[in-house]
Amino acid sequence: MSLLDKPFSEDLPLSGVKVLDISQGVAGPYAAKLLGGMGADVISVEPPIHGDYARLTPPFFEDDPHLEKSGLFLYLNTDKRSITLDLSSAQAQSVMKPLIEWADIIIENYAPDTLENLGLSYKDIEKISRKTTLVSITEFGQSGPYKDYQGTNLISLALGGLLQITGDVDKEPLKVGGRPAEYIAGLSAFSGAMIALYAQRASGEGQHVDVSMVEAIATAQMYSGLNYAYLGENRVRANDIAPMYQVSNGHVGVMYRQGNWDDFCDMIGRPEMKDDERFIDNVARRENIIELNQIVSEWMIKQDKTELYHLAQGQRMPFGYICDAEDLISSEQYIHRGYFVEIDHPVCGKLLYPGHSFFWDGEKLPMERAPLLGEHNESIYEALGFSKEELSALTEKGVI
Amino acid sequence: MSKTALEGLRVLDLTQVWAGPTCTKILGDLGAEIIKIESGRRMDISRGGTTANSGAGLYPDGDPGDEPWNTSGLYTDRNRSKISACLDLTHPKGVEVLKKLVEKSDVVIESFRSGVMERFGLSYENLKLIRKDIIMVSLASQGGSGPERSYGSFGATLEQTAGIASFTGYLGGDPRTSGTFLPDPMVAFLAIGIVLSAIEQRRTTGKGTYVDLSQREVTTGVVGEMVMDYTMNGRKWAPNGNRDNVFAPQGVYKCFGDDSWVAISIRTDDEWDTFSEMLNLSLEQSHTFSTVEQRFARHDELDRLITQWCHGKDAHDVMHALQKAGIPAGVSLTGEQILADEHLNDREFWEEVDHPMVGRRPFLSRPFKFSKHPASTRSHAPLLGAHTEYVLRSIAGLSDEEITELSDLGITSNDPTAFGPTAF
Repeated sequence: MSLLDKPFSEDLPLSGVKVLDISQGVAGPYAAKLLGGMGADVISVEPPIHGDYARLTPPFFEDDPHLEKSGLFLYLNTDKRSITLDLSSAQAQSVMKPLIEWADIIIENYAPDTLENLGLSYKDIEKISRKTTLVSITEFGQSGPYKDYQGTNLISLALGGLLQITGDVDKEPLKVGGRPAEYIAGLSAFSGAMIALYAQRASGEGQHVDVSMVEAIATAQMYSGLNYAYLGENRVRANDIAPMYQVSNGHVGVMYRQGNWDDFCDMIGRPEMKDDERFIDNVARRENIIELNQIVSEWMIKQDKTELYHLAQGQRMPFGYICDAEDLISSEQYIHRGYFVEIDHPVCGKLLYPGHSFFWDGEKLPMERAPLLGEHNESIYEALGFSKEELSALTEKGVI
Repeated sequence: MSKTALEGLRVLDLTQVWAGPTCTKILGDLGAEIIKIESGRRMDISRGGTTANSGAGLYPDGDPGDEPWNTSGLYTDRNRSKISACLDLTHPKGVEVLKKLVEKSDVVIESFRSGVMERFGLSYENLKLIRKDIIMVSLASQGGSGPERSYGSFGATLEQTAGIASFTGYLGGDPRTSGTFLPDPMVAFLAIGIVLSAIEQRRTTGKGTYVDLSQREVTTGVVGEMVMDYTMNGRKWAPNGNRDNVFAPQGVYKCFGDDSWVAISIRTDDEWDTFSEMLNLSLEQSHTFSTVEQRFARHDELDRLITQWCHGKDAHDVMHALQKAGIPAGVSLTGEQILADEHLNDREFWEEVDHPMVGRRPFLSRPFKFSKHPASTRSHAPLLGAHTEYVLRSIAGLSDEEITELSDLGITSNDPTAFGPTAF
């Protein structure tokens, strides 16, 4: 047990696994949050003064821009402790060395070569601690002709091939809402870290894991490359995978499946359509989707979204309905499973957060609020052997 | 170097379609042994059924061949690096054999509708009696509890019910889905880490575990800030096209050529200054856009200026020119272009695999690379039931007589046509 370890840790799946999170924003912090949620001990190292740039990113509690009020940061940094440190300062090395020795996994998302300039490349880390794995998350990866290019969520969607297949064929390609490239890279980094940990348990050695947002999206969207490899054709933007229809109070999505077709015709009061050649199988329905949509739309517009969703699902039709945040919060299913958890925070008070997406041996794992900026400076720097005087001197210099 | 990262791990794979198979395919690429269980009566539906017109398959050069279930691209992509055994679990003798395999496996992963494993007599409680430290992971649509536990879904409908589609769409337009099944790979990429977390817990405590995961909840997890804006401020998000919430301008602009587009993001005032010079804006004009508030307020106007500038230009030329100036830009790659992309190819992203019925085609690799354990496609996706005998004999330990009996009863049949046409 190291002095650096979190005191009073519970008995959780990853209890005893130590993670140093020097990343910012979405992808890296999300990976570290997932590890922390499993019980790993996560120390987040933030830049002094403003901290992780997610702290400066909306939405803010009561729309008040404040380092402790970003909903993005609060969500992505549960189950972590926070210290501040200027990684480019002369003193950083002496602080980082024991932290690297402590860590099983380090997560970072700087541009390639930045860590090398900070003396924190995998080569440097390997010399300090052979067991430690470095997980690097970037838009383009650690190698390749675009390695030093600039990226954003949208750029990753474009070069990962997802953008081109989302939206309408007669309009521009469309992004999926939110930050899917960053989140999917975060999920990948979580799993990449766990794969490296599994290997480390056998060999005693860590390694460098290279996660690319573009590749995370290219792997995730799957269709475009495969479609061309198989058919020699580019997949076109179309809304035909699961057409959505306007109902009286929102939108409902339908998956047309052969096994549901007869029941579907009965449900919409058009039993004669069961034998209609135009809609006889999935291929025919896809070819005649415009006519089909016209017929179905007329019926749909009179329906209620949740009533229809339950009615269809009750007959084994995998319908969906468009849920906005209010629908999610009031979903009986989510309420029953306790998906949203109330977390208290010293600045923002009690708020509902999306919680764990699973039960672990019948239980929901606990979730602790995000740390205040530098909340754990005192205890962690003390464990590193810094006196109170040294700590305040470094704070004054802007190092911490 | 020679050892794979996940050597020694054996996974019994009872998943189908996309999320589960993608999780196990990547575990397989990294060296785990993946035993995929299907049956002639009930194949993975991404095999596309026994007839080509089910519409669920994607066949090489459009030709389903004599055994479409063995050639569908949706199946072959997601099921490489596995072995396939046929076992009809609706027959008690099939379940008996599966239990023998559980005894020899570290992990059982399944994606049936909630309740189906119990009906087979394969609940976690039962599996634990066979192997005390077994790890079972269920990837149900809605999880294993709650009023919607028996509901089904596909990735596209999960985008709807989990919240993403509500704010995906053209500016001021209707909600949209992604054009692929995005929740499936999200679940897959999470589930890899979940499985290995359970393994790590077993390593330290000796105990197995049961993970009851909800695909819908995983999907809501990737739009956390959208939920937080509602719980903090009561605000609901609406489709905002290709714009960003923080910086401006951002958009996707038409370039020269059929359906050719470039995505551009301007994150800072400095990037704007550089970009406005490239756009040939006068200093005066540029200054009217110098703050992000100004750029948000007149985003439409900026979109027109950028569209004009991109007109007639090659999308790759625009990307490289902007990137050389330090501005985030990327071509919206088509399927053809993403296969030819110099960056992805330099990083060996595509893996070509020979398949006896499909030939040699490029497949997706993985979202991560490991410095000490290079991963790769270890084998092409198995033909239905290709390894049944190996699995029964060498892993389950059955005798010749037992294997013959199962075959005579049709429990291990790998001929789906024997059970009548199946369709998606």
